[in-house]
Amino acid sequence: MAERIGVYVCHCGSNIAGIIDVEEVARWAGGNLQDVVVAKDYKFMCSSSGQQMIEEDIKNHQLTRVVVAACSPQLHERTFRRACKNAGLNPYLFQMANIREHISWVTTDKKAATEKAKSLVAAAVRRVRLHRPLEPLPVEVNPRTLVVGGGIAGIQAALELADAGYPVILLEREPSIGGHMAQFDKTFPTLDCSACILTPRMSEAGQHPNITLLTYSELEEVSGSVGHFKVKIRKRARYVREDRCTGCGICVEKCPTKVRDDVFEAGLGVRKSIYIPFAQAVPRIPVLDTEHCIYFTRGKCQICGKFCPTDAIDYDQKDQILEYEVGNIILATGWKMFDCTRIPQYGYGRLPNVFTAMEFERMCNAAGPTGGKIVLRDGKTEPRRVAIIHCVGSRDVNYNEYCSGICCMAALKYGHLVLEKTNAEVYSFYIDMRTNQKGYEEFYQRLLEEGMKFIRGKVAEVTNADRSEEEKGRLVVQVEDTLTGRQRRIPVDMVILMGALEPQEDAMDLARKVGISCSSAGWFTERHPKLDPVATMTDGVFVAGCCQGPKDIPASVAQGAAAAARVAGLISRRTVWIEPVVASIDESKCSGCRICNNLCPFNAIEYDEQEGVSRVITALCKGCGTCIAACPAKAIAGNHFADDQILAELEGALWDASPEALLATFGKKEEQLELKVLNV
Amino acid sequence: MVHAAIRGETSFLNEVIEETPHGERLLHCIQCGSCGGSCPNGPDMDYSPRAIFGMIQAGERERVLSANTQWMCVSCYYCTTRCPQQIPITDILYTLKRMSVRAGLAKGTDAPALAKSFVHYVDNYGRAFELGLATRFYLLNKPLAMVKMGPLGLKMLAHGRMSFLPTRIKNLKQLQAIIQKARELGEKS
Repeated sequence: MAERIGVYVCHCGSNIAGIIDVEEVARWAGGNLQDVVVAKDYKFMCSSSGQQMIEEDIKNHQLTRVVVAACSPQLHERTFRRACKNAGLNPYLFQMANIREHISWVTTDKKAATEKAKSLVAAAVRRVRLHRPLEPLPVEVNPRTLVVGGGIAGIQAALELADAGYPVILLEREPSIGGHMAQFDKTFPTLDCSACILTPRMSEAGQHPNITLLTYSELEEVSGSVGHFKVKIRKRARYVREDRCTGCGICVEKCPTKVRDDVFEAGLGVRKSIYIPFAQAVPRIPVLDTEHCIYFTRGKCQICGKFCPTDAIDYDQKDQILEYEVGNIILATGWKMFDCTRIPQYGYGRLPNVFTAMEFERMCNAAGPTGGKIVLRDGKTEPRRVAIIHCVGSRDVNYNEYCSGICCMAALKYGHLVLEKTNAEVYSFYIDMRTNQKGYEEFYQRLLEEGMKFIRGKVAEVTNADRSEEEKGRLVVQVEDTLTGRQRRIPVDMVILMGALEPQEDAMDLARKVGISCSSAGWFTERHPKLDPVATMTDGVFVAGCCQGPKDIPASVAQGAAAAARVAGLISRRTVWIEPVVASIDESKCSGCRICNNLCPFNAIEYDEQEGVSRVITALCKGCGTCIAACPAKAIAGNHFADDQILAELEGALWDASPEALLATFGKKEEQLELKVLNV
Repeated sequence: MVHAAIRGETSFLNEVIEETPHGERLLHCIQCGSCGGSCPNGPDMDYSPRAIFGMIQAGERERVLSANTQWMCVSCYYCTTRCPQQIPITDILYTLKRMSVRAGLAKGTDAPALAKSFVHYVDNYGRAFELGLATRFYLLNKPLAMVKMGPLGLKMLAHGRMSFLPTRIKNLKQLQAIIQKARELGEKS
């Protein structure tokens, strides 16, 4: 029996109709394509009246297949599948031709655009004719969620889910949760004490009955898919037994070593070889750093073990691999600071009184290495003049093209702290002042009032080569003051570099592990930049906080909560329906060669020793097609991407590729050559 | 290719871009001033390169081509290496030098005359000849000022820093062919 196909061409306002002659495409499809019984163009197919039109036509014209030529299937495939379903047609008997992103948005040539639209419609019509009805596959959602990263975004996400009654694993690679926010002294623009607002959340997360806290641990491996991921976690040896340790800190006190703390104190302070990174750490269980421990490096000492009142030190502890099944994963892995030594003209690492923003944060913190005093590298001299340099490694195509977003506000906060704690003058060297969130511009106004000085110009260099008596023994900031157009040299005692926020070193590795993508800079890519900012292209994997791009604390908290809400929604549905676009193996053709077993990137093929054949585990298969292409016996077929469907689609796309067809369409031979789009 | 931002205009901006390799980066200038701040001659310039770029965008042809900025440039390339937008600043200043000479606006500077004398020796000997360069430049341009340079010249001669006679490089013909080709290409653009 012949199929009865309906073709609908969308104008998308002028998005499509401005370039493509949509009426002509619809007329042509109705007159020339086999089995097409209805062909219409319409202003907005995705509107409710557009959907209704499809539903009514299915009923009135007994349509058996539907093609919509409109935008990307990413946007509206679901909409039109639903319309088909409402009218009693299996939703997989539908096909979408993308004539917006693939045509009208990428060319200004109206003639070529209309001809390509015909090709894509012809391809969709030939393909849909061979579509087979499919049913989505149900997958149970494991209510447990893995949150990777224990900064403020991850803590927020974990607490939201735990408070909703769902179990959470909160994973953190450092010895304590808290992230960068735990290092800060104050937060802009309200100047709340960072620790005072963060630590209650940390201890709540640490004690919550629904949260399993795994610190000093990292994600090793992920398999499975939404609803039932299997994760392997490496719990690194602390050499301290968590079940016995009371957090009394005697081991730390007695340890005879001193090590520069490059992580929490940003290199400005020291810690012991066995240490708790900061007073409010959660959990309050020390970690032994074997690289610097005297016992581990020289074989003798064990003072910590001797003094421990609960016998909690275990020098033989090994890394553990823990395995869990989780329904969803939230990535909240944060950021790292730009390495300021990469810009040699700013002198970091060479000129002692040039500091990074993180060093300055620790210096301002009352619990930090200087007890909250703003002093030069000698540890005692108060500066008379401080320079704050913006955009160090940001807004610079030689390093990072993007604006880090938070540094202007952080610089204002530093300006306030210097003015509050010292008698020094403060200069800010900025390119553009960016203070575009609630209360931020007001904070800028406040600093103008407090007397912070602003020079509009990107600093050329920081030098100790003096040219005058006034410059002797000081640092000189050389800059063009772009508001006066003059070059200035300003002698200062301390320079603070507002380094860029960069993705974590291993962000790309993590993205690969969980199967999501990154921007070229290394930030995780969200599903849609505006309408789906915390989901990713992989179902069941969400992102929150700075791992998705630089952002401030309120935005990180909002994303943490948003990601948790999305996960809670999936959990409360209990079952998710996944696309039936999976591979299946015809066991009568399978020779049991096992080539597909190792090629499958999702470990979704198992081998049945007894029968000597391979089988696809449907719930794990993502329908990527690797096995289908590799099978030497052609025993594997892919639902919805079967060979006959793909070949029919190609034939449709190339309907006009014969010389006669080209001549009929475009007339003279010479003109054909210019139509690169169609002649490729 | 004409950039969309300057489409349909035969503007000063367009001319500068067309005459400079990667000149279109000029459109990316964010007026940060890292060029003017870095320039060792910055304090002596009428306008910093940043300000010049602003004027080019505003179409102030006369003011730009009469400025001393391009003649103050010593080609140290500090500005170019530090520019956060990878604008070929030094090269743009060379473009402005050429345009300034062509427009007859290079006044109050010895640089074009000095450059001509310099090129004369490179054309004929394949390398610079200091004694000849100074003599030729001063005789043609400001003979009276030559007297002042006398003591310095003698000192250089005494220390073997300057020779009496010019030396020709080997295979001068080959260099001349290269220079000839460069000139042809230059005229074409």
